[in-house]
Amino acid sequence: MRHVQLVMGPAGCGKSTYCHTMYEHGLASKRSFQIVNLDPAAEHFKYPVTVDVRELISLDDVMEELDYGPNGGLVYAFEYLDENLEWLREQLGDSDDDYFIMDCPGQIELYSHVPVMKNLVQALQRWGFMVCGVYVIDSQFIADPGKFISGCLACLSAMVQLEIPHVNVLTKMDLVRKKRSFMEKFYQPDIDELIADLNADSNPAMYKLNQAMGSLLDDYSLVGFLPLNIYDPDSVIFVLSHIDNAIQYG
Amino acid sequence: MAGSGKTTLMQRIAVHIHNQQLPSYIINLDPAVSSVPYGCNIDIRDTVNYKQVMKEYELGPNGGILTSLNLFATKFDQVMGLIEQKADSLQHIFVDTPGQIEIFTWSASGTIISDMFAFSVPTALIYVVDTPRTTSPVTFMSNMLYACSIMYKFKLPFILVFNKTDVTSADFAIDWMTDYEKFQEAVQDEKAYAGTLSASMGLVLEEFYRNITTVCMSAVTGEGVEDLFDKIARAGEEYANVYRPMLEAK
Repeated sequence: MRHVQLVMGPAGCGKSTYCHTMYEHGLASKRSFQIVNLDPAAEHFKYPVTVDVRELISLDDVMEELDYGPNGGLVYAFEYLDENLEWLREQLGDSDDDYFIMDCPGQIELYSHVPVMKNLVQALQRWGFMVCGVYVIDSQFIADPGKFISGCLACLSAMVQLEIPHVNVLTKMDLVRKKRSFMEKFYQPDIDELIADLNADSNPAMYKLNQAMGSLLDDYSLVGFLPLNIYDPDSVIFVLSHIDNAIQYG
Repeated sequence: MAGSGKTTLMQRIAVHIHNQQLPSYIINLDPAVSSVPYGCNIDIRDTVNYKQVMKEYELGPNGGILTSLNLFATKFDQVMGLIEQKADSLQHIFVDTPGQIEIFTWSASGTIISDMFAFSVPTALIYVVDTPRTTSPVTFMSNMLYACSIMYKFKLPFILVFNKTDVTSADFAIDWMTDYEKFQEAVQDEKAYAGTLSASMGLVLEEFYRNITTVCMSAVTGEGVEDLFDKIARAGEEYANVYRPMLEAK
């Protein structure tokens, strides 16, 4: 069986650092992770990249030749990849027990507006990959209940679009060590408490929405977060074991 | 969202305020835009050179935009100073945000800038949707979830603009928003995994729709722009009645 982790999340939330951490962990634990760069705008890496989308198309070329801005350029580059998925297939090879980690671009519109990511996922599945989405969010940004909901919804909007097993990871936990107990209630939130907290902080017109949101999260236990502190090996193992579990690795 | 026509919309707004002689300020916060087709009063590009930032800090396009915005945010009190001086004579202030939506929504500087506005003047969010690209129900849903996530993050009056109605009429979206059963049928036609989420998701979305205002317009032809200004005025009232007291309570 072949496995893929698709690493997604907003810009600057630590996707590349996540890939780097996983790569190092792979070296230490004698597991081979191959990193695939899918971000046509990436600059340089701290880790060896097996497949690099920039060999197919790079954002600089698109921006220069077609005179697009960074955004339009990225969408164009990704649509180009979408048309040339065969290229990716060749690059990925056909060995039977590969484990890839794909570093995706941060632009959310690639997931929610244009179907390219969805096509990519379906292609991977056709080629016999077990795909797991890893949605990375910066722990700094979910410091209050409203932002937590906001983070959940961002994850959810990717989840409904891609239809793959999903693991949500909170990065940069090493920076919030002081507030550990405060953060803990967000990993597996107590819905009633969350709603109460939300209501305290929003206008009365939103109470019903808060309630509905609470039951959405509750009904499907949709969104839970795994804390990741890249300096703590146990934390890395913990996150990885959840992902392995989600794609039935091993 | 990138490519949803924010800049064209801004251009249309600029034309409208000029025609109606409404004293207004237009601010561009997108450091990566190649040219601004409307006269803007404050331009981030006058302060920060995005290409230079990329070179100097060895950043990719995303990191470059984020850093430029961060640099600008540190000087934003001066912008606010300018605005406060003129506050009595200005009717509107429009801010064009970077296309990478998460750079504004998932960053410290985005929060700083929006908070600065929210604390001093009536502020509303305008979320622009690319109508022709959201005709698939799943895309529509993930878009709405994202919009909802933004509303939770900023806690401000929210105006949803279905843009580009000259290409595709937004009637389908309005249908889906007013009658959830129709939307559910559409989802089920797609046979998506998301179909199974529908019950509580429906509740969330219905409440969300109740909390926001919607405008269908075409930035290219100018159709619907009066409606937009009506809704903006109403969002201002909403701010004064509901959000202002909340902010003061903080």
